[in-house]
Amino acid sequence: MLHFSASLTKLLGELKKLPGVGEKTALRLAFHLLKSPANVHALAESLVEVGSRVRFCSTCFGITEADPCHICTGDRDSALICVVEEPQDMLAIERSHSFKGRYHVLHGALSPLSGITPGQLKIRELMERLERGGCNEVILATNFTVEGEATALYLARLIKPLGIRITRLAHGIPLGSDLEYVDLATVQRAMEGRSEV
Amino acid sequence: MRTTECESIILGATDYGEADRLVTFFCHEHGKLRGVARGAKRSRQRFGGALEPFARLHLQVSLKEGLVRIQGADILTVFPGIRTDLGRIGCAGYACELVDRLLPEGGANPRLFRLLAAFLEFLDHSPYAESARRFFEINLLNILGYRPALEHCAGCGAGLAGLERLGFSATAGGILCRNCGTGSMPVTAATVTLLHRCLSTGRFGAVDFPPSALAEAGKLLDASIAIHLSRPLNSLVFLCELKEQAPGGSIQND
Ligand SMILES: [Zn+2]
Ligand SMILES: [Zn+2]
Repeated sequence: MLHFSASLTKLLGELKKLPGVGEKTALRLAFHLLKSPANVHALAESLVEVGSRVRFCSTCFGITEADPCHICTGDRDSALICVVEEPQDMLAIERSHSFKGRYHVLHGALSPLSGITPGQLKIRELMERLERGGCNEVILATNFTVEGEATALYLARLIKPLGIRITRLAHGIPLGSDLEYVDLATVQRAMEGRSEV
Repeated sequence: MRTTECESIILGATDYGEADRLVTFFCHEHGKLRGVARGAKRSRQRFGGALEPFARLHLQVSLKEGLVRIQGADILTVFPGIRTDLGRIGCAGYACELVDRLLPEGGANPRLFRLLAAFLEFLDHSPYAESARRFFEINLLNILGYRPALEHCAGCGAGLAGLERLGFSATAGGILCRNCGTGSMPVTAATVTLLHRCLSTGRFGAVDFPPSALAEAGKLLDASIAIHLSRPLNSLVFLCELKEQAPGGSIQND
């Protein structure tokens, strides 16, 4: 389609590999960039930087530039480890400022239907970390999907013999919502997970 | 465009693009269908946590130019009991994947729907038991017309009544008499009787296989299913790995 510029065609091809970007959006982004060469350079530079500097922490497998990451080396509570599926989940908990411990990112969840098994996740690394000692509570913060629940159950069974306290994030009615509009699955789980007041 | 309400069981769902979900579901009235739920990842209002494996629900579905669109969902149950136990999650996933892989798209199959629904219901209230899985499998093969011959020798057609030592071959299509079954997988008459009983009671938990019969029935059913599959089931790989890695070798939760 765009025979007038080979490099523009190449850029469009790369943009379309991004999630949620189709033909139209790619064109819009490309023409926007063309209008401001300074922005193009800044963007290109940061892309190269991300590609070369950002990696996974060898302790928690979160995203970092320095290995180990600042959470693993900082003065956070090392007796508390929160296990999440993806680096994004770690960011979500960090944003809430509700957690002062450390993390472990599994990079996925067990899935019976997609055949994702424990060996494909950072579970062995988690167990090695726990066996080294120093941790007295593991918080299982995997998603509340079938996959996330399966992962939490699997980890709980694996960790239990180590005598470490295992907790799961509470699940229930979203804050600020009317009970009558909450979906049945959530109500079902909230009823099961009800707590003493 | 017409919108219909489908009583369905979700067989599988994967994220599709940024916000959508691609869902395979088994509808009581229309059989197995595949459809897109636009915005399902974002719109908790419309879909809640509904589009998850083995959830039972009412789906609002529209058909447009051969494309199935899921407009909304009302959950009947997400089987909370199943979701508390790894073995039961694995087994429910297995049942759904098996139906997905063996049932062709389109065409109602209310008997199979009832079987799957009953199995999930059973798993929701009882711990995982291998006998129940085998009960599900033989009934599934029967409904789909894949059941191995149990009454007559699949080789020569002779009646098997009164014969104790039998053989089995999935490629031959069933149980074999002593003559036809030389060199095939050995099966006892007791196991065959139990499989028969699975087909006649119609209630999960009613047939209890003793360990040796369970092992025989397992081999027989695994082979009967495998010949209809082009590649192994993901959920079976999952179940096997859990069995191997689990402390104590059990996939049941305590
Ligand atoms: Zn780290
Ligand atoms: Zn014969």
